[in-house]
Amino acid sequence: MAKVLEGPGMGLMKKWGIRVPDNVVVSSVEELSKLGETNDWLKNSQLVVKAHEALGSRYKLGLVKVGLDLKGAQAAAQEMLGRQVGSITITQVIVSEMIPHQDEYYVAVKSTREGAEVLVASCGGIEVEANWARVKRLPVEVGDTPPGEALEALAKEAQFSGPMINKVAGFAGKLFACFDNEDAQYLEVNPVVVRESDGELVALDAVTLLDADAKFRHSDWTFPFAAEFGRAYTGDELDVMAVDSKIKGSVKFIEIPGGDTAMLPAGGGASVYYSDAVVARGGKLANYAEYSGDPADWAVEVLTDKVCSLPGIRSIIVGGAIANFTDVKKTFGGIIAGFRKAKEEGKLNGVKIWVRRGGPREKEGLDAMRALRDEGFDIHVYDRHTPLTDIVDKAIQAQ
Amino acid sequence: MGILANKDTRVVIQGGAAGLNAARRMAEFCYMIKAPLNVDAFVYPPDSGKSNEVPYGNGLLAVPVYKSVAEATAKHPGINTSLVYIGGDRACAAAMETLNDSKVQLVSMITEGVPERDAKLLGRHARKLGKTFNGPSSIGIVSAGVCRLGVIGGAFDNLVACKLYREGSFGVITKSGGLSNEIIWICSQFADGITTAIGIGGDAYPGTDYVSYLEKFEQDPQTKAVVIVGEMGGDLEERAAEWYGAEKRRVKLLAVVSGFCQESLPKGMKFGHAGAKEGMKGEGSARAKAEALKKAGAIVPETFGALGPAIKSVYDDFVKSGQVRPIPELSAADLPKLPRTVEEGMKVGEVIVAPLITTTISDDRGDEPCYDGYPASELINKGYEIPHVIGLLWDKRLISKQEAEIIKRIMMLSADHGPCVSGALATIIAACAGIGMSQAVAAGLIMIGPRFGGAVTDAGRYFKYAVENKMGVDEFLAYMKKNVGPVPGIGHRVKSVRNPDKRVQELVSYVKGLGIPTPHLDLALAVEKVTSAKKDNLILNVDGTMAAVLVDIGFPVECLNGFFIISRTIGLIGHWVDQRRQESRLVRLFDYLVNYAAPKRREVPPLK
Repeated sequence: MAKVLEGPGMGLMKKWGIRVPDNVVVSSVEELSKLGETNDWLKNSQLVVKAHEALGSRYKLGLVKVGLDLKGAQAAAQEMLGRQVGSITITQVIVSEMIPHQDEYYVAVKSTREGAEVLVASCGGIEVEANWARVKRLPVEVGDTPPGEALEALAKEAQFSGPMINKVAGFAGKLFACFDNEDAQYLEVNPVVVRESDGELVALDAVTLLDADAKFRHSDWTFPFAAEFGRAYTGDELDVMAVDSKIKGSVKFIEIPGGDTAMLPAGGGASVYYSDAVVARGGKLANYAEYSGDPADWAVEVLTDKVCSLPGIRSIIVGGAIANFTDVKKTFGGIIAGFRKAKEEGKLNGVKIWVRRGGPREKEGLDAMRALRDEGFDIHVYDRHTPLTDIVDKAIQAQ
Repeated sequence: MGILANKDTRVVIQGGAAGLNAARRMAEFCYMIKAPLNVDAFVYPPDSGKSNEVPYGNGLLAVPVYKSVAEATAKHPGINTSLVYIGGDRACAAAMETLNDSKVQLVSMITEGVPERDAKLLGRHARKLGKTFNGPSSIGIVSAGVCRLGVIGGAFDNLVACKLYREGSFGVITKSGGLSNEIIWICSQFADGITTAIGIGGDAYPGTDYVSYLEKFEQDPQTKAVVIVGEMGGDLEERAAEWYGAEKRRVKLLAVVSGFCQESLPKGMKFGHAGAKEGMKGEGSARAKAEALKKAGAIVPETFGALGPAIKSVYDDFVKSGQVRPIPELSAADLPKLPRTVEEGMKVGEVIVAPLITTTISDDRGDEPCYDGYPASELINKGYEIPHVIGLLWDKRLISKQEAEIIKRIMMLSADHGPCVSGALATIIAACAGIGMSQAVAAGLIMIGPRFGGAVTDAGRYFKYAVENKMGVDEFLAYMKKNVGPVPGIGHRVKSVRNPDKRVQELVSYVKGLGIPTPHLDLALAVEKVTSAKKDNLILNVDGTMAAVLVDIGFPVECLNGFFIISRTIGLIGHWVDQRRQESRLVRLFDYLVNYAAPKRREVPPLK
């Protein structure tokens, strides 16, 4: 899943025929002034300025300003840019044309196992959250396109009437086309508004989630993907992502501030069971990590370095199921190199390391881990005969 | 019995190197159960027409590679299953191609990172055709004692440890590849092992679901219980619960679900497989799934660690009620074994190998080469140079600074001698004919012999013989005349007493100036005095000088030609590069440079 911010998200919708307000994304006031010289709409329209970051509740944070002229927009941009909200620094604002309107609606397309669901409601904004029952749904099987009549029926079911039925159906059809052709996983326009000047439907906001795995067939996805969990990625997380994009297999790393139990397990499935076990035993996760698909040893070493650098950790869980084809000796080689480096840098003082693993060349790998005891590591090594998550029990007890 | 992968499964693998690797794993399984290889063909357009070598036991099987699935199934009518292990951008087209082949009923995809839309399309297409599309991101399907499709089960030792050579009583369905192996292991330790284990893949929308496999397990009398390893996200576990709770089922259901940690994570933070994402209203959470399964009557241990004992208790009940009869375990000696490679055998001291060759000079097995035991980097860092490396590799000794200096001078003096000499001319002609460096330089080196540059060894040998036998010059010359012929190292084509060879003078004066004992050089110079008096050009030539000096500093005669070869190679390479740089055209001799002494043109007589 890859989140896309409002500016590029609206760009994709516009590509499929959806009306969006004129908008620009800028990272400085000077840039906005320059654009103002050449774009009449910036001079002549009332403007809205919003922080262009992966942030929720922008209204509450004062990061949306409406009814501005270009000067006012410049002042609003000046005020927002550089502001720190949690871990996110606002580096961009989106300036768009204000669309005078009365009615607000809701249209979305959501991925389902069978294909997708088109969601329509005749209320919008925050009202739709409170009236979820008013959202009507049309399931569409993958590979199909919803026929116009079905979308009109959906609009009628959602209490639209008169010429609006046709307009809403048309809007939903375009949003579906965008969803289907752009490998989207979720598209939401809330609100869709009726423009006072001509009565046409315009998308005032865009939530866009794309399938990052489909990037290979979308050469126009030149925008960056945004962090999905309401904070910016840390430097270490970005480092691991950069490694991940370069290698066969995968390495993953997410920091969780305040934890004392660091995770360095193998496997997308087993890693979650290890995390569950830590939480179930009352431990506090310091991170999520995972390596799988027989990654290169240097990639695992980078991951190990990041895990060892987490502040305030007391244990490291080097867990893993019995691998199918990940070479235990090779990947452990990367971990051992990372541990040695961390120890030299004084990062592992008082940290206990717990290992459990099986798979190709498990004996050689586990023996190499065990040998770290002779180098002064506080390391405890178990093989396949110890159940998967028992090392977590031992680690938490030892804490 | 088991399901999906069975004794009749015949496989086409769609993929290149990764596909071949999967085939190797499958061959190990086939060998373990003493069945022929179940991979009939590969489809991989870049390699079509070739064949892939798949190790089977102690031999190699050649499995053909085709351009299309249609071609593969036409040539191998037994194929009924495909394994797709090709890049995420091509996987959908590959799987569609094979689903559309009337002979293929089951397609399993190992490829990860397949777009969700593609996975959904494949699932829908397979359902429409009444076929099974398993995956993407599926580690594969294994039926114990019968068939392995994909890389599920891991390495050979693990297959044996998990008793996959014979059938047990437990079915397994997992999203995670690593955990499928873990559960297979647990089933073999806490119960009698598995019937079939299926990885359905950890993506958000796998092509199949638990229910379609549960129904198949329900129909398989050998499977007495099924273990599901679930994850938060989607509704496959809820559907499985619904199926299990709907009516009385023959199979027992055990399940674990992961993702409880989500409850205590910062809001919005998700991790694990792509499919592990909770819905907006909490649907798809680990807790909701575990509860649904429990409510439907499934056994849901609180933790993953409690799964083993839960499986054991179910198994014990089966044994008690007579549903399952315990299988006697094989003794260690009877367990299937993969033939060892020679290396593995040597490691455990099981085989003796008579070495094919012996080396006494060099060892490359560490992180860097060692010359006669000395690591190359240490030699560099301690100031040693190329002549020292020659000393180590040619004569197994660390020569002195002074000896190294002599060798360096010899090399510098003999590095080249212009384009006209045999060696350089041969290299130049080859270069002009467009021949590559190694062959053109070799053409030049081939010229080195008794008449050009190759007299060093022989010269050294006879000088040494004379010195060892304390021969005087006359005695030596008489010996040579009687037994050998002209003295190697004496005589030059163009140089003479009046037109001396500066190279010889340079080398002689340097070595004599060092004040070291030079009995061979002294002999050579004495010989020259006599021979050059007889004939002007019977001077000590550069071969003879090098030979005498090198024997004086202790080099064995066998290696002496090497000093000329290595020096002159520098020049030959230079000539080749020079001609290439000039983009020289093909050259040939002019006929006026040839004395045509062949018979005049004449009529060919009739053939008799």
